[in-house]
Amino acid sequence: MIEFINVNKTYPNGVTALSNVNLEIEQGEFVAIIGLSGAGKSTLIRCINRMHEINEGTLNVDGVNVSQLKGKQVRAFRRKIGMIFQSFNLVTRTTVLNNVLVSSVPELSFWRKTLGLFPKDKKVAALEALDKVGILDKAYNRVDQLSGGQQQRVALARTLAQNPSIILADEPVASLDPVTAKVVMDDFKRINQEMDMSILINIHHVELALEYADRVIGVRKGEIVYDGKSEDVTQDVLNNIYGSITEVPHMDDPEEAEV
Amino acid sequence: MEETFYDKIFKPKTYTLENGKTVKQRASRTPIVLLLVLVATYASFRTTGADLSLLLSRGHQFFVIIIGMIPPNFKFISSIWGPLFDTIQMSLLGSLAGALVAIPLALLSSSNIIKNVFVNGFFKFFLSILRTLPTLVLALIFTFLFGLGTMAGMLSIFVFTASYVGKLMYEHIENVDMGAFEAHESMGLTKVEAFRYAIIPEVLPTYLSVSLYAFEGNVRYAAILGYVGAGGIGLVLNERLGWRDYPSVGMVLLVLMIVVFIIERVSEYFRRQLS
Repeated sequence: MIEFINVNKTYPNGVTALSNVNLEIEQGEFVAIIGLSGAGKSTLIRCINRMHEINEGTLNVDGVNVSQLKGKQVRAFRRKIGMIFQSFNLVTRTTVLNNVLVSSVPELSFWRKTLGLFPKDKKVAALEALDKVGILDKAYNRVDQLSGGQQQRVALARTLAQNPSIILADEPVASLDPVTAKVVMDDFKRINQEMDMSILINIHHVELALEYADRVIGVRKGEIVYDGKSEDVTQDVLNNIYGSITEVPHMDDPEEAEV
Repeated sequence: MEETFYDKIFKPKTYTLENGKTVKQRASRTPIVLLLVLVATYASFRTTGADLSLLLSRGHQFFVIIIGMIPPNFKFISSIWGPLFDTIQMSLLGSLAGALVAIPLALLSSSNIIKNVFVNGFFKFFLSILRTLPTLVLALIFTFLFGLGTMAGMLSIFVFTASYVGKLMYEHIENVDMGAFEAHESMGLTKVEAFRYAIIPEVLPTYLSVSLYAFEGNVRYAAILGYVGAGGIGLVLNERLGWRDYPSVGMVLLVLMIVVFIIERVSEYFRRQLS
């Protein structure tokens, strides 16, 4: 269970990213977080695995107060949480299998991880993770030969090999075409249902969010302005999350038009 | 767009769209740069006292020496082998050790890996200090410290290679996409582990290529190091030039050219394989 209690986060440059956030997310939920760019969606999910620090409030994950973890504890804690990124964040100059194997690095002996020698059982586990997302045949291809959709599934396999209880996904389908985006979303749905992993997804495509997620959280200027079932999201709710049209940057803004 | 002094003299071009919107394009800065280069060239001619007429009156002497080298003294080759292998050995050993030491130096100098400004600033400064010392001067200092011979040459090549490869590598590391590094940290890897698995695979081909290139250059440098007593073929070259034994000088240069050519070709082949 993930629990935000009165969480605040302000960046050193003075921008408030989260203001008074209260949330409870049960194990196994599929949650979509929607809102404008810069509303604080990224910050919200990155606080969960301590990629960002919070300033005030309490953030508990499975009963552990995240802010109080130190050094080694943070890394041990992160092993239980997978993360997926918009730009896949794979090592492109090596094979698919090597990318998935990285998830087992902290469990290896010093010499094994220095020399990059992975034991057989880790390799089998990595191959099984690749099989779960349907790209087992690409195991020995170099990542830069793969399409965007395939790369995102390699990233998903890398996360699965970690065997996490929570997966955080930061705009996972934003750089994919609509068809591939659906394929990747299907993967998320299947993982959520078959393995009971909680999934928190930041997403710009409202229609995908409503179709796949059980629950939708709307963020606006760092505040939670909607939290409820995806069936209950109406146009009014969306207007409230995305704000009136005047808040969207305009094309004839003199600063924007400069070359 | 803020108007600078330059924009007032050389007016920016203005494009007007049909709906009245305007876009300004700044005038090119190239004339100013050209003017500066011309002034600098003239000034350096004045200060160095470069005299082109001297080149005309004495230039032919160069060819007298070249002709003196032909035909080379082939019997001299037996005295070349020893110093030649000394030269190759010291550049090989110096380059290898230097390239290895460059790895931690580059890591510690990279601002995207080491967030502490003082640590990476210190190592950047250290690398640039090393680079300001010419190899020849280093070799001279090392001959005072460790005596005449290849040890001094090897050390000076080692220092140069470490600073050169270190500099190029930290610049490369700083430009690597940090996405994979971030992902690895999010999986619970330490910074060192993330560096090993996210950054090294991306920079390894460049590292090998830069190290080979440094080795290539070092063979050429090593040939001169004998001039300050740091051993190798430069010693022989200096001695024979002093005695105006041009046929033997010709032989040394011929052998050196062939060796450098072969090493460059081999290194080029491997570097092409890497890219």
